[in-house]
Amino acid sequence: MRRWLPQALAGLAILILLLFPLVYSRSDYNFIMHLWITAFFYAILASSWSLLAGYAGQFSFGHMAFMAIGAYGSGLFSNYLFWTSEPTNLCYEIQLGGRWLVLLDPIGVTSTQNTCLDRAIAAWPSSVVVTQPSLWFGILFGILLGGFFGFIIGALVLRLRATYLALFTIGFSEILRATISAEIPVTRGQAGLELPPLYPNGITVLGRFFDATDKIPPYYTMLLLFLGCMAIMAWLERSRFGLFIRSLREDEEAAAALGVNTVRYRILVFVITSMMAAAAGAVQGHYIGIITPNILIILQMSLVISMAVIGGLESIVGAAVGAIIVQFALELLRNSFTIGTITVDMSIWRLVFFGLLLMLTLRFWRNGLVYPILVRFSRAGVARETVAKRQQLPEGEDSRGAR
Amino acid sequence: MEHPLIFTSAILWMIVWGTVGGVVTPRIYLRRDLDVSQAGFAGATIGAATGPFGLVPVWLYTPKLRPVWSILSIIGMVGIFVVSFSLADPDNYCVSSGSFVASQLTNGIVIGIIYGLMALGLTLIFSILGIVSFAHGEFYMIGGMVVYYFTKVWFPGSHPLLALVAACLITFAIGTVFERIFLQPMHTGKVERPGEYAILVTFGLAFFLQYLVQAVAGANPVKASRFFDFPRLAFPSAENAWLLKTSRGNLTLFDTVSISNPRFTAAVIALVMLGLLLLFLYRTWTGKALRAVSQDRQAAAVAGINPTTMNTLAFALGGMLAGLSGATLVQAFSWLPQVGAIAALRSFVIIVLGGMGSLPGAFLGGLMVGLIEAAGTGCIPDPTRASSYIPAYGMIVLTLVLLLKPTGLFGREL
Repeated sequence: MRRWLPQALAGLAILILLLFPLVYSRSDYNFIMHLWITAFFYAILASSWSLLAGYAGQFSFGHMAFMAIGAYGSGLFSNYLFWTSEPTNLCYEIQLGGRWLVLLDPIGVTSTQNTCLDRAIAAWPSSVVVTQPSLWFGILFGILLGGFFGFIIGALVLRLRATYLALFTIGFSEILRATISAEIPVTRGQAGLELPPLYPNGITVLGRFFDATDKIPPYYTMLLLFLGCMAIMAWLERSRFGLFIRSLREDEEAAAALGVNTVRYRILVFVITSMMAAAAGAVQGHYIGIITPNILIILQMSLVISMAVIGGLESIVGAAVGAIIVQFALELLRNSFTIGTITVDMSIWRLVFFGLLLMLTLRFWRNGLVYPILVRFSRAGVARETVAKRQQLPEGEDSRGAR
Repeated sequence: MEHPLIFTSAILWMIVWGTVGGVVTPRIYLRRDLDVSQAGFAGATIGAATGPFGLVPVWLYTPKLRPVWSILSIIGMVGIFVVSFSLADPDNYCVSSGSFVASQLTNGIVIGIIYGLMALGLTLIFSILGIVSFAHGEFYMIGGMVVYYFTKVWFPGSHPLLALVAACLITFAIGTVFERIFLQPMHTGKVERPGEYAILVTFGLAFFLQYLVQAVAGANPVKASRFFDFPRLAFPSAENAWLLKTSRGNLTLFDTVSISNPRFTAAVIALVMLGLLLLFLYRTWTGKALRAVSQDRQAAAVAGINPTTMNTLAFALGGMLAGLSGATLVQAFSWLPQVGAIAALRSFVIIVLGGMGSLPGAFLGGLMVGLIEAAGTGCIPDPTRASSYIPAYGMIVLTLVLLLKPTGLFGREL
């Protein structure tokens, strides 16, 4: 009957998202575009966390840590690596082809000293060319770094189950936050690390020029990343991989006894999801332009968890849709209002409501609020079809199938 | 640091031989068909402490590994750490100044007692309900907030002990209500995968309570005044009198160690509460019932104890202990709705270190974490860096314990 409905709806949603920035033209354009970009960012995080926690049963609280590793990996890459056409003889450098790849020395925020590259430039004639490597290599570096740490953490937590795993990953996240805050000379600590915008020199697409602060290029970048991650996860979910990681969640010993290589799949699911988180973090870092250790506070992790839970912990699409809805709701609920003499500061109360909603959703709607609606749509007509088929069966035969 | 090479090489030596011992020893024991349950941990500790000198005999003769060896090795590791640090950095305050060390040690123990009380609540919850409450820090925060509001806003001038009672009652009530509504269904089979549900729902409670308090109380730091103004106590004092009359004194021992008044009162209250708790657990019927449920749920139910009631009681009591430690510490630290997070993380460290569900483990773990934090803050050469790393010290301990010996010091076997 209406089997094509879910695919058609998904296609329609993607089409709307693709056309949205070209059609929308109200005065709050930049704000709404910013909301969308941030919503995609959280959607990647929430859906990859639902793959890790909902499908594979690995309740990791360190997802934001991988996000931060991606962002800081990319940020450090674009702050400390330069190409020069002459050797500086002051910095760490490697000759590659006719150029030198220069690694700057960390000097911190308030230092009066110049970096080794600045000192070298002062001594050089003006013909020497200093360029930065493309920031896409930085993003790639951040993603690989995220995957590497995902591998290490995945291997370290092999022996740990539910509660212990949650504690360990919180510990990892806190150690990372402390390290980033403390190593001020390298990471700039709480002052934040500045990142170049995604398209530093602007970009020309189809004859139209977008400058570095335009919202449209980062919108499409984040949207493509989001759709790419969703496609990978949807494919994984339907493949043997999805079955295997669900078997880990249900009963690891039984899965191992049936021949599932549990070690490999537990590590693999960590690597894949942390690479996705790192990718989202790196792109978002370049889009925002500055990253601080505060992206690692527990509130951020709580937000991702509540998005995934409200959307549907055991559904990737549900978690992504939930993240987008929650992100919009959170931002649009910011306006404080006054009842009589009492001013309600919505910037805090909205979080209280979300905390309550998170608890109630967990308690009463285990599958989340969005996922059941999605299921209703995707199974539209199936129930009626089944009933119709049953009625066609000869008398007495349907009672066997009925409970 | 003057000779960082000594320190780094000592640390590297321990890491390398610890890893070698931890990886190779179980293999050798497995090949000789011996008990490997302790081999990894014992190998790692013996390797880190003695290097090849201890490992090679163990590998050659593969004796039965006694727990004593691991304990001795850990003491040896601490010894190597301390000696190499003092050789590497002879001018450091905590190497050169004995009184500084004594003062840091005492303060570490004093604050450790309060940490222990808080972790005791968490371990009590774990031993009965089998879950870790991720909202434990929020109970701590609420305890402190209640004392502040009680003594400063609602009933100014009332006795702080009344405020302590109020903090206990409120945190107990929150614990009861939450357990009844959200955790009760876990035990009646109404939720799938109860372990994971418990993690998430207590996490949700933490989120909710933290922002609720922030919405009601605001985000400005508050601080309660001292509970008791005692005269400056100096023991033994240079002037023969050991009670000097000044209004706001600290406790000074042997002219060198100074414990600030708020911390001292907090530790004394914590010790009193600890005594009452032990009395309750070991001398009353309800306390015995609680311990019985933690040992064997079914047998306790057969003996006429209602496990459901005990669940509620344990969760509320655990939350109350956290609230109480917050209530005693609000006079020592400035208080924000966010203070719960760090305290909760510290409690996790303590109960993992002491062994999940072990009451003496929680108390000893509290003392150890207090000492580690005191040493970490006092001895790291760069003070700004040291203060940023404070939450990380405990986390490093947590990570190491989870990797090497997930049962902790006194935990039951997993």
